[in-house]
Amino acid sequence: MVTRINIKELESGGLKIKGLELTVGKFTEFDEWAEPMGPTPYPSLMDLREWDLRLLERYPPFYSPLSDFCEFCTYGKCDLTAGKRGACGIDMAGHMGKWVLLQTVMGTSAHTTHAHHLLNFLIKQYGPDQPIDLGGEVEIEAPITRLITGIRPKKLSDLVDVVNYLEGQITHLLSATATGQEQNYLDYESKALHAGMLDILALEVADIAQISALGFPKGDAETPFIEVGMGVVEREKPVILCIGHNVAPGSEVIDYLNETGLYGKVEVAGVCCTASDLARFSSGAKIVGPISRQLRFIRMGIADVVIVDQECVRADVIEEATKVGSRVIATSDQLVGGLPNYTNIDDDIVVSRLVSGEELAVVIQDPVKVGRVAVKAARLIAPLRLNQKGYNRNEIVAKAAACSLCLSCTKNCPIGINVGLAVNTAKRGDQSLLLEVFDECLGCARCDAACPNDIPVLTVIDAASEDKIRNERFKIRAGRGPIKDTEIRNVGRPIVMGEIPGVVVFAGCANYPGGNYDLAKMADEFAKRRYIVVTSGCSALDIARYKDENGQTLYEKYPGAFDAGCIVNLGPCVSNAHAVGAVVKIASIFAKRNLRGNFEEIADYILNRIGAVAIAWGAQHQKAMSIATGANRFGIPVILGPQGVKYRRAYLGRSEDYERWLVYNAKDGRGVYVGPTPEHLLCVVETAEEAMVTAAKLVMRPNDTPKGRMIKLSNYVSLHRQFYGGLPEDLHLFVRDENDLPITMKDEILTLIKQKGWKPTEIPDPTLLSRMIFGGR
Amino acid sequence: MSKAIAWDEAEIRGPKTAYTLTPENCGKMLRRAKRLLIIVGGNILDEEYVKVNMVNTIERIAKKLGATLAVSPSVFRAFQHYDGTKYMINVESVVERLLDPNWLGFDGRGKYDFILFVGGLYPFQSMMLASLKHFSPTLRTITIERYYHPNATFSLENLSFEKWCEGLEDLLKAVEA
Repeated sequence: MVTRINIKELESGGLKIKGLELTVGKFTEFDEWAEPMGPTPYPSLMDLREWDLRLLERYPPFYSPLSDFCEFCTYGKCDLTAGKRGACGIDMAGHMGKWVLLQTVMGTSAHTTHAHHLLNFLIKQYGPDQPIDLGGEVEIEAPITRLITGIRPKKLSDLVDVVNYLEGQITHLLSATATGQEQNYLDYESKALHAGMLDILALEVADIAQISALGFPKGDAETPFIEVGMGVVEREKPVILCIGHNVAPGSEVIDYLNETGLYGKVEVAGVCCTASDLARFSSGAKIVGPISRQLRFIRMGIADVVIVDQECVRADVIEEATKVGSRVIATSDQLVGGLPNYTNIDDDIVVSRLVSGEELAVVIQDPVKVGRVAVKAARLIAPLRLNQKGYNRNEIVAKAAACSLCLSCTKNCPIGINVGLAVNTAKRGDQSLLLEVFDECLGCARCDAACPNDIPVLTVIDAASEDKIRNERFKIRAGRGPIKDTEIRNVGRPIVMGEIPGVVVFAGCANYPGGNYDLAKMADEFAKRRYIVVTSGCSALDIARYKDENGQTLYEKYPGAFDAGCIVNLGPCVSNAHAVGAVVKIASIFAKRNLRGNFEEIADYILNRIGAVAIAWGAQHQKAMSIATGANRFGIPVILGPQGVKYRRAYLGRSEDYERWLVYNAKDGRGVYVGPTPEHLLCVVETAEEAMVTAAKLVMRPNDTPKGRMIKLSNYVSLHRQFYGGLPEDLHLFVRDENDLPITMKDEILTLIKQKGWKPTEIPDPTLLSRMIFGGR
Repeated sequence: MSKAIAWDEAEIRGPKTAYTLTPENCGKMLRRAKRLLIIVGGNILDEEYVKVNMVNTIERIAKKLGATLAVSPSVFRAFQHYDGTKYMINVESVVERLLDPNWLGFDGRGKYDFILFVGGLYPFQSMMLASLKHFSPTLRTITIERYYHPNATFSLENLSFEKWCEGLEDLLKAVEA
């Protein structure tokens, strides 16, 4: 806060003051920002509750309990089945709300600590005055930050206040989950929505800081192609593998290699989002793959040094890596792994102990030092480990001989692959089923733990598939980061009018049945239909692990611009901020709405006018839950794959419920029926086909022009026919006027909807906020 | 009737878990339904279901008992020749409606009293059954899956594929008797 004292003229005793201006408090350039401050800068838990309750009225939470118990205090565990209350008085709906809040806070806090660590490091390395610079064509550099906090950050140190705000809010949110605090499930949900919104803010802070300081791409459509796949790493060289999300240790490895002339002589690869960020930092970095490749690549022993930072690092990574002779350096206070701290020990001593094996794994919490130690150790260890790289295929596959076909592995597979049959068939000399399993496998190794005969099932699958692994080489565009303001100017109008049928974002983890093929198939279908397709995180990597009939990945097939018929790789998880940021920027640039501290109005605008939808086909982590919940508060619907049901909550609308689909017409305050647009905020679907048809439906918005609605309906009908057969039964809910009807199907659809009693409705200037009614009515 | 262990061994629930029925008794139990809804999941065209001709089994049960089919959209085509009452709907959406005590079914003629689940990915179906167990506890649910589902009211126990095939024949006999 800044307090200004302005004294025009004062005379008191011997003191005479004229024209004094005094500013007390922190004064920064952004306080001079001309845009008027909106109603909710730095919102607290209560400030946006009315918006949440409005959303939850239309999209009530639908709960699927994963457990029948509450185990949060010593009264319990308490059985909450079928209406029972626990000893503290909570019922299952309240308990589910608490779980949802807890999960979203977990996700948000993970991204916030990520932003915190990264920001501190970058300020230390590049100084607090390092400018926030996302390139010449990105004037709205931080749309989420502007919208939520009301500040316009100019330099890295401006983001410190934002992180402080995030950490304070997280404490309040977490506090509400304690026994004896919040008790109403809707208020738990409101707090979860708050946590989700904060998560999107944390993502933006982390990404704009690293883009500005580390020279990542700044919204370039044609970023370099990066190699991705388990076969891209040259195992004959010293190999350093980075796992997690914080790029700092890995980028320091690359800097050190450059400084010492060793670049190219040491392989630097990554798994998960750190890999995506390394590829943004240096096009020579290699991406092994998404989280499903983590354990598999470690077990292959190809990495000489494994650097782990934070988030999505498997809990057995230190044990598994050291078992195959890799050395491990843990770098974040979020993951210390019970290891000795060598942060303040001389480099040569650390390297010597790692090389000799006196220490197999250590903590070093200084990224610059990690860069030096990892390179030195990898170069010395690599020649000693050459015979530990890769599998002895025959020896490992022979372990299948112990299989008794008990099917424990099959029962424990999260996605129900018949692993047992494949292993038992291999026992009889036929490895073909193992190769099929390899394509679908999540790489979680629950099958290993389940096997009563101690068969390392995952390793057996991978050893049998070693040829496939060696040939696993694909290309992905490096993450481009923000969407340029110029691009928003080009597509803002056609998106809001509905003429570009929608923005479809593929985000989240790799926990899906059927392998990555479905994901790529969906992205391809929407790009062909000239939607704007956006990818991020593990989904972006998995989409790359598919080639079409011409041998091209989708990133080679489609341009990388934010435009119709393109596929845009934003980057890692934190780059999801730019997907939300793009729709926020549409409200600002195209519709000229004020962003500053004005969350509710912008979310209302997005919900009613911008046809964006996210598909988190393999969402697994709490962070995916918090990102999805955050997107929901911004008015963006999210579709989850079948495993997403284990998040325990959806936000479902009901299409036939007339009252839910009334909005205000901002022009005169009348209630106008707009149909179920969008029908759900968060829903689970069972198949990729269902995801596609659902997405085509969820991009419809009350504000679509007739031409826009016609294009959206045309895609909805076409996808419905393609995958389900026949016309959709709910078409009458989406047709406002005959002008909405696709011309080639007009008679057919008109006949159908008239049978359902369809009558024309109007296209309002839609809003859910009474204060947005013109003239304040 | 007794209780069994879930197919997914980590799916360990509280005191209220499904009673196991033999396939024959499962068929007899279904005959008690006054207004049966069959929810068909999106995996009904997976290999094992195809091998046992599950679509045909569902159609025969529905026809005999006058049941309504609520079919997951992406497999609705499998029932294109079925001339009984059928609706295409997302499974989560139909379960959400079943939680509403005021929902009178697709045709508005009254609440369903018995819900048969088949054809969904095991964990997904388990969670849908959990929603009904907790938030619509008077509604009876039953599955004819090869695997035990603790969150249903009634379930088959875990069966070998061969026993399941035979069992479905017994079930149909009991339904059509």
